[in-house]
Amino acid sequence: MKHLIACLALIASPLAAQDFSEGSEARSWNLYAEVPAKFDAQVVDVLCTLTGDCPEDCGAGKRQLGLVRSADDVLVLPMKNSQPAFTGAAVELAPFCGQQVTVDGLMIDDPELGANNVYLLQTIKVADADKIKANQWTKVWAKTYPEAKGKGPWFRRDPRIKEIIATEGYLGLGLEVDQAFIADNF
Amino acid sequence: MRSQILTGLASAIALLIAPIAGHAAEGTRVQVTGEIIDTWCYYSGVMGSPDAVVGSAHHTCALWCSAGGIPVGLLAEDGTVYMVLKVGDDTETAGGDTILNLAAHTVEADGMLYERDGLKYLVVSEVVSDMDITNVNHDDFGNVPPFSIPDPNK
Repeated sequence: MKHLIACLALIASPLAAQDFSEGSEARSWNLYAEVPAKFDAQVVDVLCTLTGDCPEDCGAGKRQLGLVRSADDVLVLPMKNSQPAFTGAAVELAPFCGQQVTVDGLMIDDPELGANNVYLLQTIKVADADKIKANQWTKVWAKTYPEAKGKGPWFRRDPRIKEIIATEGYLGLGLEVDQAFIADNF
Repeated sequence: MRSQILTGLASAIALLIAPIAGHAAEGTRVQVTGEIIDTWCYYSGVMGSPDAVVGSAHHTCALWCSAGGIPVGLLAEDGTVYMVLKVGDDTETAGGDTILNLAAHTVEADGMLYERDGLKYLVVSEVVSDMDITNVNHDDFGNVPPFSIPDPNK
């Protein structure tokens, strides 16, 4: 009986809430639900993990990638990279498809809103290599859109965004609605 | 009595093991209607309250985040957020064209629902109806963030 209870306790322990903040050097973004978190994980293609549709390269940064945490097998969804520039994390993780990594960043923990196991990725480390910052997105964008080179942030110069705003407006309701709003508010 | 306790403990162990061993949940066919949102601003609060980071007020920022590869969600009428992993044949939901063109639109989607570790993931087989932007909220919240529309006077 004692053996069974000990076994039960061992199995139950990984399911208890764990603190992954120990050793984290994540920089605060002053978000109300942020919790620093450093953990070991495998980089996975989320669509592959859930449905079995699995390209070899995890989608080369075009699919959403996840982190299956080694300590508890939880699938964490990285939503953001470390750049304050409206940029995601898939491009940062794509080179590490299928690999074991150690990541550091911020969990956003707001169950009331549905934010469970979502993450802002700041650094990635593989084995004994130096950790790298998760800030490559804008460099990859610049290589993809050399014709958009210029002053100002990428999102003001992105050809696809500019095309949609040129036809639908900033508010998405047409150019006339934009004009009236701008006249009233600027 | 002892055998009943042992059976109970064995059942408890089996229940505890199940979520660990189960990697891929079974998908469930669903039809969901809701707005295609930028999940980072919605969950993080970085740009304001959840009501302010949806609809026409947030359209431009939703474009930025979708083009930037941030996960896109479908915010259903009951407040549930579904992370969109595929639309039709297009698996490029990290910055792809299909999902970008739906930013802030209200859609009726038919697809498969997968749940894992507190998140709901949606593989959309078909956008049954694209109703464009129906949440016209810029009169209540302005444009969010305020710099999403460049100041024409500068």
